[in-house]
Order: sequence, then C-alpha cells, then structure tokens
Amino acid sequence: MAIYQVIKMEKYKYIFSLLISLLAFSYSFAQDDEFYADEKVKEPLLLKGIKFGVNVGRFSDFQFKPDRSSYEASFDFNLNNKYFGVIEGGYSEIAIEKDKYNLNSEGTFIKIGFDYNMLKKWPTDFLGIGLRIGRSDFSQSADNIEIDLNHWGNYSSPSITKSFDAYWFEASFGVKGEIFKNIYLGWAGIVRVQLSGGKDADFQPYDIPGYGTGSKSLHLAVNYYIYYQIPFNRK
Amino acid sequence: MKNSVHILIFLASMLFLISCGDDTCNLETETFLKVELHTADTNLVNEKFLDSLSIFSSEWSDSIYYSEEKDDSSLSLILSPNSEITEFIFTSETEEQKDTLKIYHQNETVFLSPECGFIVNYKIDTFISTYNIIDSLKLLNGNISSNKDGEIQIYF
Repeated sequence: MAIYQVIKMEKYKYIFSLLISLLAFSYSFAQDDEFYADEKVKEPLLLKGIKFGVNVGRFSDFQFKPDRSSYEASFDFNLNNKYFGVIEGGYSEIAIEKDKYNLNSEGTFIKIGFDYNMLKKWPTDFLGIGLRIGRSDFSQSADNIEIDLNHWGNYSSPSITKSFDAYWFEASFGVKGEIFKNIYLGWAGIVRVQLSGGKDADFQPYDIPGYGTGSKSLHLAVNYYIYYQIPFNRK
Repeated sequence: MKNSVHILIFLASMLFLISCGDDTCNLETETFLKVELHTADTNLVNEKFLDSLSIFSSEWSDSIYYSEEKDDSSLSLILSPNSEITEFIFTSETEEQKDTLKIYHQNETVFLSPECGFIVNYKIDTFISTYNIIDSLKLLNGNISSNKDGEIQIYF
C-alpha cells in the first residue's frame, strides 16, 4: 500500500513538472512573438552580407566514391542575419565500370530558396531552417551491356542514351558558425522530395545531380559547406 | 573556444559521409514465360507422355526436360534476347511426332538496378503452332518482366 502511494505521488510530481514545463515553454514562445513583433517594427531589412560557399562534402567523393566527381557552390544574401536568399548550383559526373555494363551520367543542377535563422544570441552565426526548389538537367548512357541468360548464353545489348530533367523540393535544418572573421563552416541535414521528372521505366537514372539516388522519391542527405562572407552594415 | 566547438562538430558530422554499400544483386535477373502443361488425352496420360517431354530450341545446345524442371505441372522458358521470334520444339519419347511453337515478341532491355545491371523484358504479340500432339494453346499473360512472369497454357 505504501509503495502504491509513493508511485502515485511520483506520478503527480511528473504531471506537475510537465505542466510547469509546458507553461514555461508557452511563455517563452509568447516572449519570442513579442520580441519578433517589436523587432519587425524597429529594424528595417538591411543587407548584412553576401556569402559564397563551396560544398566540401562533395570533395569526399574523390576518396569514398571514386567513380563520381561532383562540385557544388552556393551564393546567399543576408538580410538582418535572419533571412537569407539562397542560390546553389553544381555539376556532377559519374562513370561506373561493372563486369556487365558501363554507365555514365553527366549533368548540372540549380536550387533556389531561402534560409531562416532562428538564433538571436549570436548575430553572425546561423542555426535554422531552409527551403529550396531544385532542378537538374542530365543525361545517362550505358554501353558494353551484357546479359547472361540460361540456354541463350551471353547477350550483348546495344548502347542506350537518354536525357532527363527532374524537379524536387528540399527542406533543411543546419548550422553555420563563423570560425574566423567572415569565414564560416556549416552543415545541414536535408530531406529531398522528388516532384517530377527523373523517372524512366526502362532506364531509371542511377543518380540525379543535386538530388541523389534516382530511384528514391524521398532522399536524406547531409551537406558540408565552407563560406566566405563579404560583410555589409556590420556593427 | 567557440571556434573549436564549431570545428569539432563539423569534423564529427563529416564521419556520416563514410557509408558502406552492398553490391550484391538480390533480384531475379531472368524473365520467364511460365508454361502450364495439361494432358486431356487419356492415351497420353497412360503413356506418361509428360514424364518424357522435352523442349528445345534450334539455337540451344541443351534441352529442358519436364521431368527435371516441372513445378506444379509447369515449367519456365526464356524467350530469345537475340531475335523477336522464338521457336520451341516439343518432343516426347512416347510420341513419334513433335510440335513447334513459334512466338513473336518485342524485346526491351531494362536497367534493373546498379547491382543487378540489365535484364530483358518481353511483350508477346502473337504465336503460331503445329498441332500434332498439342491440342490447344491459351496465352494468359504476354507481358514478361522481372515483376511478373508471362503465362501460357498448353493442352495435349
């Protein structure tokens, strides 16, 4: 009976703590709203910097994925260190040599969108979310195709070449830290959702430049960037 | 201190880039025409006609024996990837005569997956046959792919 009462007390303590936490959480959000409301009135949108970045994660392909080379760069303009207009673009090339086929893919991509910084405490750093729309134009070809079939032996198929385009939407959550003055390192976890294109029943794209594996309608990725910022109106 | 934390977090997260891939093909890379064999003729049943039935093509160096390959009174054939006409000859030790089944089809080379490579899918347009021991044929599914076998019924 005593144990039951102790458990009951513990349960009430947890519920009480949870309610206090929820109240505190709601209050902090209310404070934020007031803060942003004031800020919107007080601070006009000012260009605080233009950043150029290179996706250094792509360079790891040379080590871990020697059959591909890809490059990605980014350009963003920083408004009040809170809103960022972003354009990202790149090029990707894949050359796979297998026993039964060779596959080559080559193409470019561009992504347009924005980032929103949720940090207030460190005005030069970034922790926030981003949204992008991406488009890729690429071609894929295969040659030296051989198919082993029981009774029929080895069949050599003619080469195949196809051109594609693909559109996708992506949402990201990431950080950018100013490690030296105007030099930033950042990474972002990204969810990509394929919207259209990039599909073929007979010759499914192996890789969509800027998006990832062609057969997946949903794609998870991590980007690693290094940036240089040209500051404007910095205090 | 703040910069060191940034760099450490960045480098630690880079480890996610190292991933292992499985290069093994776990899918069926041959596409089959499933042939259901039925014997309605009591003489053929008594002679155990099916047990000595064999099927071959002029381009093969071997034959398919029903007694070895049968699975629920059916066996699986692969159409020719080299031509759009495949000819199968049905013969049995119990019968003097044989039958030739000629299948007209379209071939399509399809990229199955990076691990498995390419396969050949087929679409059967039509077929013709001699009817010495074969009584009738019925095509149930003429689209042959890795997802679904083609299906034909042969009655003797």
